[in-house]
Amino acid sequence: MSLQNKPVKNDTAFWDRRRGFIHTKKGGWVINEAIYNQGCSMMDDLVGKVSFFQVLFLNVIGHLPERRMTDWLEAYYICLSWPDPRIWCNQVGSLGGSMRASPLAAVGAGILASDSTMYGPGTTKAATEFITTALIKKKNGMSAEDIVTDKQRNPSSPPKIAGYMRPIASGDERIPAMERVTNNLGFKIGDHLSLAYEIEEVLIEKFNERMNIGGYRCAFLLDQGLTPIEIYRLLSPVVHAGVLACYTETSDSPPESFFPLHCGDIDYQGKAPRSVPVK
Amino acid sequence: MSEHKLYIRKRNERFTNRTVTRIWQEEPLPENPYLARKCRCHGYDILELAKKRSFVDVLFLLFQGELPDQNQSELFETLMIALINPGPRHPATRASMNAAVGKSNPAHILPVGLAVLSGAYLGGEEVSATMRFLRKNCRKDAADFADELLSLSRPDKGDWHIAPGFGSRFGGIDPIPQQLAELLGGFPAAGEAVKWGQEFVAAISPQGMSWLDTGLTAAVFCDLGFHPRSGAGLFQILHAPGILAHGLELANKPVTAMPFLDEDHYVIAEQARKK
Repeated sequence: MSLQNKPVKNDTAFWDRRRGFIHTKKGGWVINEAIYNQGCSMMDDLVGKVSFFQVLFLNVIGHLPERRMTDWLEAYYICLSWPDPRIWCNQVGSLGGSMRASPLAAVGAGILASDSTMYGPGTTKAATEFITTALIKKKNGMSAEDIVTDKQRNPSSPPKIAGYMRPIASGDERIPAMERVTNNLGFKIGDHLSLAYEIEEVLIEKFNERMNIGGYRCAFLLDQGLTPIEIYRLLSPVVHAGVLACYTETSDSPPESFFPLHCGDIDYQGKAPRSVPVK
Repeated sequence: MSEHKLYIRKRNERFTNRTVTRIWQEEPLPENPYLARKCRCHGYDILELAKKRSFVDVLFLLFQGELPDQNQSELFETLMIALINPGPRHPATRASMNAAVGKSNPAHILPVGLAVLSGAYLGGEEVSATMRFLRKNCRKDAADFADELLSLSRPDKGDWHIAPGFGSRFGGIDPIPQQLAELLGGFPAAGEAVKWGQEFVAAISPQGMSWLDTGLTAAVFCDLGFHPRSGAGLFQILHAPGILAHGLELANKPVTAMPFLDEDHYVIAEQARKK
């Protein structure tokens, strides 16, 4: 094996330089001076002057964006703020309210539940991977139809592509709403979103399936120059308001009155009753 | 955007009316079907289990569907004791201690620590990743495979996990997982995964790397028959007591009981200050 890979055993210099210190490029509180945030004094430059979403963007990405970017982001957050407790993360909030968990515990748990590969911010990695790879393929001459065909396991079945199709229903009413926002804010359709639409056309024609809001947001935000990990971070609390709505309703109702279950409402299919063997 | 008119079409998937479980049976009280008069875990009455078996046996049963034999039980319990506390320097424990000394609701101390322990680096996700790694590779010659991995370039900074669950810790070999591996390796229920891991470790040790506690835990979980999907959560369960205990130790202490760095030790880069 290569000697260049041989580490110096117990060389702790890397950690010694950090022990007892916190070094930050983000900012912090200098008492009786200011609270700094990446080149801004928060109380002087941000409070009352920019939106919360601009500060969210600043904290994640490292610079203040133009206002329309975070207006778009705020509109997107609204799209994922349904007060419907049938949605998996929202029901976590409802159950938290039913058990009298604090709003923070319930919202924290609901947000954690939305870190899913099926819906919510957890789909970002797969959806961005797909569309960025697809764009490379397109630039290398591959058609949208071939990109779709590449994802099919067999010729008759629809492909499973992150950012397309959705649970429960086909079609996504949030996309026209966000298209309106995108258009009103004067954003142009970039390469990722343009290809995302081309792929959607193929899916509509061949399988009557469409893009979902996750595919739309990833393509749009990639076109705005964000990286996949930046998109994932920016969207981490995106279901917050929906979870909180569901929590609030059950928290204001009698405990354990939300969606109660009889013993028989659980279908036990396991082992028949048996005696515990003596050890 | 598409020229096709958007119709939102319900898929009409067949959702079950009743959630299925093979784990737990609740027999309703005739006069109140919301209350259970008897609960069974994989067929065993929970109160009979409480009388006749240990906690570790029932934990094993819950996840695997059958009670462990004596050898499996001993191996699992020994691992549980060894992992009961990741210690006060561990990031997950420190998270619970920070929450506690900051006067967070004591009911949140454990979930705060466990959320941090979910991570892909020395956390639950790494345990599951190691279990998948062991399943995939434990038929290969450990020494040859280690050589293959050692030829890859290591990170410029910090430690190198040459594979999930194996690597250096603070630039050196963490001795506790080594000592524990020697102990557990002698148990009859320690099998192919622990043995292969030991061979792999023998090959990477000259390079300053060895078992990490995630790797050893994963190997034991594999030998006990747990699924990789359960590895992350089980690791959290095993570390939970110490994470909670350290948090609670600080819960009634003043906020000054943990360091709050002064300006000389909290270093804000010039670019972060006001331009």
